[in-house]
Amino acid sequence: MPLVGWIKSGGTFSGRPLLLKRSLQSVEDNFFFADRQVTLVRESVASGKTVSRRDTKGWSGVSDGRDVRLPPENAAKQAAEHRESFMHLNFGRTILAGVAMAAMLGAAVVPVEAATLRMAWAQDATGLDPHKQTAFSSLRLLELVYEPLVRLDAKYNVVPAIATSWEFSADGLTLTFKLDPNAKFSTGESVTSADVKASYERLLDEATAAAARANFLSIKSIDTPDPQTAVFNLSQPDAPILVAMSGTNASIVPASAIADGSIGTKAIGSGPFKLDEWDPNVKDVLSANPNWAGGKTGVDGITISVLPSESAIIDSMRSNQTDFALFNDPLVATLIPGEPGMTLNRIPGLAYNVLQMNPARPPMDNLKVRQAISCAVNRQEVIDTALVGEGKVTGPLTMEAYASDPSTLFCYKQDVEKAKALMKEAGQEAGFSVDVIAATGEPPYAANEAQVLQSQLAAIGVKLNIKTMDLKVYVDTWLKGDFDMAVAQNGGRPDPYPMYNRYFTKDGNLVNVSNFTDPELDSLLQQGRVETDPAKRKPIFQQFEARLAEQAPWVWISSTVTYTANLDSVKNYEINPSGLLFSLSKATVGQ
Amino acid sequence: MNYLAQRLLTFPLVLLGVSLLVFFAIRLVPGDAIIAMLGTEAGLLTEAQRASLAQYFGLDQPIVVQYGRWLMGLFEGNLGISVTYGKPVLEVIIARFPLTLELSLLSMLIALAVGIPAGVFAATRADRPSDLTVRVFAMLGQSTPSFVVGLVLIYFLSATFRILPAMGTFTPLFEDPLGNLGQMILPAITLGFSFAAAVTRISRSAMLDVLSDDYVRTARSKGASQRDVVWGHALPNALIPVVTLSGVEFGYLLGGAVIVEQIFALPGLGRLTLDAISQRDYPLVQGAVLFIAFNFLVVNLLVDLAYAALDPRIRLGGK
Amino acid sequence: MGLLRAVLRHPSGRIGLGIIVVFLVLAVLGAVGLTPHDPLKQFVVDRLKPPSATYWFGTDLLGRDTFSRLMLGIGESFLVAFASVAVAATAGTLIGLFAAWWGHLWDGVLMRIMDVLLAFPAILLALLIVAIEGPGVVTSITAIGIVYTPIFARVVRAPALALKAREFVEAARTFGSSQGYILSRHLLLNLVAPLTVQITLALAWSLLTESGLSFLGLGTQPPAPSLGVMLAESKSMMTRAPWLMLFPGLTIMLAILGFNLLGDALRDILDPRTRERTA
Repeated sequence: MPLVGWIKSGGTFSGRPLLLKRSLQSVEDNFFFADRQVTLVRESVASGKTVSRRDTKGWSGVSDGRDVRLPPENAAKQAAEHRESFMHLNFGRTILAGVAMAAMLGAAVVPVEAATLRMAWAQDATGLDPHKQTAFSSLRLLELVYEPLVRLDAKYNVVPAIATSWEFSADGLTLTFKLDPNAKFSTGESVTSADVKASYERLLDEATAAAARANFLSIKSIDTPDPQTAVFNLSQPDAPILVAMSGTNASIVPASAIADGSIGTKAIGSGPFKLDEWDPNVKDVLSANPNWAGGKTGVDGITISVLPSESAIIDSMRSNQTDFALFNDPLVATLIPGEPGMTLNRIPGLAYNVLQMNPARPPMDNLKVRQAISCAVNRQEVIDTALVGEGKVTGPLTMEAYASDPSTLFCYKQDVEKAKALMKEAGQEAGFSVDVIAATGEPPYAANEAQVLQSQLAAIGVKLNIKTMDLKVYVDTWLKGDFDMAVAQNGGRPDPYPMYNRYFTKDGNLVNVSNFTDPELDSLLQQGRVETDPAKRKPIFQQFEARLAEQAPWVWISSTVTYTANLDSVKNYEINPSGLLFSLSKATVGQ
Repeated sequence: MNYLAQRLLTFPLVLLGVSLLVFFAIRLVPGDAIIAMLGTEAGLLTEAQRASLAQYFGLDQPIVVQYGRWLMGLFEGNLGISVTYGKPVLEVIIARFPLTLELSLLSMLIALAVGIPAGVFAATRADRPSDLTVRVFAMLGQSTPSFVVGLVLIYFLSATFRILPAMGTFTPLFEDPLGNLGQMILPAITLGFSFAAAVTRISRSAMLDVLSDDYVRTARSKGASQRDVVWGHALPNALIPVVTLSGVEFGYLLGGAVIVEQIFALPGLGRLTLDAISQRDYPLVQGAVLFIAFNFLVVNLLVDLAYAALDPRIRLGGK
Repeated sequence: MGLLRAVLRHPSGRIGLGIIVVFLVLAVLGAVGLTPHDPLKQFVVDRLKPPSATYWFGTDLLGRDTFSRLMLGIGESFLVAFASVAVAATAGTLIGLFAAWWGHLWDGVLMRIMDVLLAFPAILLALLIVAIEGPGVVTSITAIGIVYTPIFARVVRAPALALKAREFVEAARTFGSSQGYILSRHLLLNLVAPLTVQITLALAWSLLTESGLSFLGLGTQPPAPSLGVMLAESKSMMTRAPWLMLFPGLTIMLAILGFNLLGDALRDILDPRTRERTA
């Protein structure tokens, strides 16, 4: 029926959308959207709060607390009532009658329509196992589906997720979590302490090769006195463990999924959405998890299209085919502010761009060689060219609370003379050539970074051969440490311990990747871990940072900026750098 | 030997050869066969796991046995399991095939719709300036790679004039014909561009050949109008080589779709192959290459048979 | 010689040869380093500048001069094209000759193998080879070479077969000339015509495929400036810097056009039966 189609598309009348209103404050916007009304109303009932005026543009029908879980015929009745009230007003009765008729027809005939957020990104997830995946794109997809015990808010404070409250014992060796009784997996089963125990045991199992394993080595055992309580017994006080527990890599998965081995193929989590379909590199289809403890999501589903070119994503937003997008390429993202109807959100993050060297391979096993390379690099120039100025020069620590001023760190201002001198001291005056690997797609400017570095290092005789590869292949190569050098973008944490312990301590699970351990660094990290007084932690970690920069296993370049962009019709999206996509759970898409 | 019979006999031989080539090509990949089968994540497996997996995949058998097993699997429709999708390769391929097929068909349609009239027109105005113009354009068209055409089109239409959307998720034809065509029109023009140029030249050539036929001269000398001659006799006869040659070109379209699908982000078979290659999903590469080659062979065979059926000289004479 | 003059008289031939010569000169200049600017040097200050007196074709994101890069790029592309066609022509000619000369069983086997290779759409076979060997210049050369070999084999086999049956070969044999001598003297001389045409057209096609492979990231790797690579890089900056797309695109087109025109002219001159018809 043409009318239905017209209504579904948000029906416009003489160029402006019509809405049936109850409030009599203003009549200049007449938005008509029967199905949208019903969705909003359901949401308000489920979340127990009234729908604000901002959302409904006048549909304040719920504010008097009536139970208005509307099946379609109720909506028609309501619409009819509103029509009555409108009749008192001083405007074309015929128009109103027509609108009301349409409202009744539409509400009666149109089944409750799902509001879907259409999203696009250029780099798709590379896998579905939340414990194993390291690629940002995978983790971002999975944060919509899985939940950890706690999460971080926009200010990097630890806030409840599956756990509603937690408490350290006086000696710091016991951490007790109380779980949310409403937390349920998308299958309807409750999340219990048994699931928490199974998840963390899987994390700690070496065979899993979990990405975050090294952060949880202090866990001795986990007790489950009752389904809503999980008690972690630690072998030593571990201040940063809460922060470590907030990542997607520490998600709680169903014990049954671990038992039947379906993790990684099916994604059953307790998050705001469930993954209906994953067509790698083509699209991801998610729908709202009706069992989500966080209440009703703002939209009923998210469809993520993978468009390999980020400028094509802008095109599709411009032609109203995409509502929301994630951008990694500053080159493209900086074009958005010029577009009408779109908003660009610039999100400085804790992740960092770095040139990783492999100290297990000569001549980079020689400290002076590594230092020479660190001195030869002009970090600001890399940012200005490859990153078009987006990002700041940073040392190893990117979080404000602990970072030192980069200019105090070893060789942070380019000094080619010193670099040459160091090379000479190392007996490498003639230079050498190495391969550097870079992923296409994450970050998209990796190849450009590599080229700038290539030209900078040529000045001291170091010849870089650039090898670009697909992200998935790059990650696998990177995890094996099978490279001379790598242009990497690694994730950061609000706390230095979980940020670096997996790379630079002897028990770190990513020591294969860094190929570098140093007793002093190790002891500094451990000191910082057990020290609970923030005032005392800072100098410890600053010492750590200074030594790390001086030992130069890696050359840290800049902190990253991520971008999201949305059409103006997307509302309620709160920017949270630790949960870029999770914040979509409350976002709404309107007309 | 009769051409038809010869053709039909060599067909299965060539198919076998193709399967041999693909099978051994994948075996030539440097590195582990297990990594090739399971993807680069398999690098983290332990020795014991590798041994049992090797046994499971039959990798410890002699190579001939492996080939035999694989070939048997092919007859059952088992092309292996894709590493990235975790689903059977055939399933993944079949899901993406309709798009590539539609793209190729559309491109061919466009190419024929543009090329044949242009070629015929040029032939009827042979050696005059308009003929030269057409020939120049055809030459330029054949010399322009598809991705250049694609980029230029995207630039002018999307970026500057904002007329057509450059990309989007694929809407199947039967779900939304208009939306689907809107998405496919730019890629189809891109892909059909150089083919159209080829068709122009072929049509022109064929038309000229036919126009100099004795029949035509006789008809004209008897007073038949140019129009009757062109439409009644020349065109139908000139179309035969055009159409049959187009059939062969169609196979190339299947391959050429690879680049176009990449530019326009269409989730078709070509892009699947590319992604599979860059992600080292060897079972999928194997399956996709086989599938496309098979289709190509079948199309070629059909075209050859059709050509033989239409042109008695080929049918009866051997070579 | 006579051929050159014939080509120069032919309208397409003139233009085609002219284009190719210009490009060859540019490529050689680029190879020896006589470029307006250092093609790999990043003039960071002058990033993304449009064409000007200093940077004739503008600069790219990293501040490299487009014109200089183009000169190197032409060189890279021509290198791959010539090398791969050399591979294909040599292999194909040898195979075609052997198949024709020894006939029957050998002919059947070799030509079936060629048929198998021809059973793949060209790009697909090239992709398969790249999948095995990994991306790079050498892979491009081998891939394109292998893909084009069957065409040369076929082109060579037909005249070879025809010549084999001709009497003068029989006569030469009775005079005791060795097989090798007969092959090299008589057959090859008669194959020059179709081979020349085919090589030129193969060069055009090879340029097309090479740039396609580089565009997809499977051929020349950055920062080596092959024409396809430059086009791929220009995609994300299309609206900001259209000159980055325009000039490499034009260059590729002109290069391929040059070889196509020359090939057409050669075909008209050397093989009148297949001449493009004039009424």
